[in-house]
Amino acid sequence: MPEDRDIAHGVPPIAVSSTSTLANRTGSWKYIRPIYQDMVAPCNAACPVGIDIEGYMNLLREGKVAEARDLLLRENPMPAVTGRVCDHPCQTHCNRAFFDDAVAIHAVERMLGDLEPEVRVPIPPRTRKEKVAVVGSGPAGLACAYPLARLGYAVTVFESDPEPGGALRYGIPEYRLPRNVLVREIERIRAQGVVIQCGVQVGKGTPWKQLQSYDAMFIATGARVSRPLALAGGEVADVRPGLDFLREVEGGERRTIGRRVVVVGGTDTAVDCARTALRLGAEPVVVCQGTRADLTANAEAVEEAIREGVRFEFKVWPVGVQTARHTEQEPPLEAIRTMYAEREERERLTGVECVRMTPGEADASGARRALPVQGTNFVIPADLMLTALGEEPDLAFLPPEVTRKDYTVIADEFGRNHPGVFAGGDITGQPRTVAHSLGSGKRAAIGIDRYLRERAGEKIADGDPAALRFGGTGNFSITRWRDDDPIRRQSPVNEVVPFEKLNMAHFASVPGKTDRHRSFEERRSSFAEANLGLTTNEALAEARRCFNCGVCNMCELCLIFCPDVAIKRHPSGHAFSLSYKYCKGCGVCVEECPRGAMTMTREGL
Amino acid sequence: MKKVIMGNHAVSWGVRLSRAEVIAAYPITPQTQVVEELSEMCASGALNARFIKVEGEHSAMAACVGAASAGARTFTATSAQGLALMHEMLHWAGNARLPIVMADINRAMAPGWTVWTDQNDSLSQRDTGWLQFYCESNQEVLDTTVQAFKIAEIVDLPVMIVLDAFYLSHTYEPVDIPEQAEVDAFLPKRVARYKLDVNDPHSFGALAPPPVYMEMRLRQQEAMEQALKVVDEVDEEWGRRFGRRYGAVESYRTEGAELVLVVSSTITSTARYVVDQLREKGEKVGLVKARLFRPFPTEAMRRALAGVPHVAVLDRNISPGHCGIFAEEIRAALYDLADGRRPKIHGYIIGLGGRDVKPENIIDCIDRTRETAKSGKPMPREAGWVGVQP
Repeated sequence: MPEDRDIAHGVPPIAVSSTSTLANRTGSWKYIRPIYQDMVAPCNAACPVGIDIEGYMNLLREGKVAEARDLLLRENPMPAVTGRVCDHPCQTHCNRAFFDDAVAIHAVERMLGDLEPEVRVPIPPRTRKEKVAVVGSGPAGLACAYPLARLGYAVTVFESDPEPGGALRYGIPEYRLPRNVLVREIERIRAQGVVIQCGVQVGKGTPWKQLQSYDAMFIATGARVSRPLALAGGEVADVRPGLDFLREVEGGERRTIGRRVVVVGGTDTAVDCARTALRLGAEPVVVCQGTRADLTANAEAVEEAIREGVRFEFKVWPVGVQTARHTEQEPPLEAIRTMYAEREERERLTGVECVRMTPGEADASGARRALPVQGTNFVIPADLMLTALGEEPDLAFLPPEVTRKDYTVIADEFGRNHPGVFAGGDITGQPRTVAHSLGSGKRAAIGIDRYLRERAGEKIADGDPAALRFGGTGNFSITRWRDDDPIRRQSPVNEVVPFEKLNMAHFASVPGKTDRHRSFEERRSSFAEANLGLTTNEALAEARRCFNCGVCNMCELCLIFCPDVAIKRHPSGHAFSLSYKYCKGCGVCVEECPRGAMTMTREGL
Repeated sequence: MKKVIMGNHAVSWGVRLSRAEVIAAYPITPQTQVVEELSEMCASGALNARFIKVEGEHSAMAACVGAASAGARTFTATSAQGLALMHEMLHWAGNARLPIVMADINRAMAPGWTVWTDQNDSLSQRDTGWLQFYCESNQEVLDTTVQAFKIAEIVDLPVMIVLDAFYLSHTYEPVDIPEQAEVDAFLPKRVARYKLDVNDPHSFGALAPPPVYMEMRLRQQEAMEQALKVVDEVDEEWGRRFGRRYGAVESYRTEGAELVLVVSSTITSTARYVVDQLREKGEKVGLVKARLFRPFPTEAMRRALAGVPHVAVLDRNISPGHCGIFAEEIRAALYDLADGRRPKIHGYIIGLGGRDVKPENIIDCIDRTRETAKSGKPMPREAGWVGVQP
């Protein structure tokens, strides 16, 4: 107020109080009070790997790209891989989908994974004296080795194939995961001090005994035996497991195949086989027992396959094959002569006999088993038939202590059944995706760390394992296990924040960006990556679309809306301080908080 | 710099030159171009103001009240139904003594639904504590807008600038746009004596019980009286700096007049033409332009009209159940003039709902007034309706 107070007729010129309103302790009016309380974003809870997605999105929003990548790399050793091949349940659960479009999380992850490392990170010091053996260099094995090396263990990975990567290399075609990307990600893991020995067949060429010098062992050899399809006449050489076909192509056998390729099954492998065959010049047909909705393959991959020209025959199933020794009614393309020069001499596939299927009566479980419709048999002409009905683990080589019982592995990620022996990935009963394998490997790493530290005499409290999981049900977080979160959180609760708790009044609709793709013409003749993702700037713009569900990002709306000016920025700049002397508990801050990072509590509780 | 611009844009230019800091408005015909142009000036950076989009006029004025309370130079504009919707907040701005400036583009009140001009919208806000200026030309609109901020900030009262729908708002005229530096010298940045300040928190507009409320209205009334002087001082300074003056009341060719027309807004221009024609013929007719309506310039009006035998007041408005509002205010202002000095007054209702006011309509007013005068009868109390169907 001006010093020369303008009083006339006993009043000031305007209706203004003569004393400061600080005398009015409005805080005494309240019976409920707001608190800052960070919750868990649904993406974090949905991620099978256990990544703090919301955390790195917020760092990106603040322009801290290097910090964002570091936070991501704490939990996921291969973001450039998952940014490409994960079916991103994070996006499916993104709250923004209820508003406009889900944030293109996969593209942001991919961008971070593709960043060139700014500095060569030094190998983490070997602070632990124990050694860990990992059998299998697929996603589960590498995801176990990586955090263990960062925790200070000496880790050696044994791989039977000539190159590391497992299913990433021999199951996922190059047009989905370029090999230079895979190699770079594996280098990232090696840079942590992980030693990878290829061409070592543990349990066959190399006896298990040799691994006994290790203090712990993680078995993650994956599922690589194709389920068979028993068909009359199916023993002809032109009927082969799809996974073998992918393996050959990866091995460099890019020779041409017959033009007419029939793929049997609705799995990811089936779609990969069809798209690979298409790129080799074929006209593939995928034969599935059910409808499109029944496919187990990734829906986006199916969409891309159809757009590329793959034909799907739904509610159809093969009942036999037709072969011929001589005539070629449908000769292979001109360019393919080389492959089957000897072909004239042997029995050749000419067609796959199929029958139309219809859903039968519901059984006790409610499932409707497909039944053939009599008299609907027809023949799809074919030069090659690939079966892709799913894969099983090969358990024959397992050591006696990891006994098999009904084709299941007794060992698990937590070493509960065999001290020192852990298992994970596709040989255990979890969903068969790259992300789930990565999550499994990380859980095993935490299990191994705990086991070895307890063995060394360390006392580790029996905490609630759910506390290590994002939202209580998501995957384990290494950060939570180590309790070294670089993100400041205020009285966090391990609960997922629902969309209803967000305030959309503070967001403007911004349509999401979709990935760019290579042209269909190019894709039909090339194994170059089909999905080109987003540019760095587009990905950063996507990160700015993130609501930061449940976590305070210092947007200051609480401060702006507080009618009592009871909220101030904390001197640290990383939090707000709330004066309960003046906060009258109106709840405007909680109502206005765009991301559900505040909540009301009862006074005195 | 001379530009040919519409009346609405003359308002925008006045606001831009005044360096308003907050503009909160809702569009309504015929006001829309005022804020449309301002929004573009804000977007281009020509005007460094916060433009607040709101969901209605009540909110527009509420936002202005908040901004002005925080010490910002604040502007809005509206018309008719929009102004009526603001009514509660107009009282708030007036009683809180906030120097908000608003342009009201005079538009008749519905129903019948209308977008055309008359003065009932602004005149029905007469008692809300706002100054009101009725403008005749686009140049006057621009000049008055800048003057309004200065007056408002000296006396801590809100000011309404009023212009006719379409006859002025949408009519293009050459306007001399002053240099920014010269306007800056005339109108420095607002320094609010009282404003919201988190470091010196005070309560604004809180409870005022009977022992203090009345004094606050008394102080408001004293500010209104002060404003009469300030309007003249500011106008005088404007004249010195820019060469144009308007006055609260303007007399035009009233020397020795036997009959004087009292007019406002754009009717003034038509009336000037009629006066010129009649003076050519040697008839003793003049006019008085009422520019300032609140505070009412009683003394200036008395000086202009005392001793004139006959006065015809042309009202583009009506207080239903009574008569034209200017006529009634002028009668009251002249009531205690001495006998012989007090003119005989006849009021006319003219041009409601945008009906064109032509020279012959004004001559009709003059003829009817003269006829009554000649008959020796007193002027009728009730208003005469001009140009209506029988």
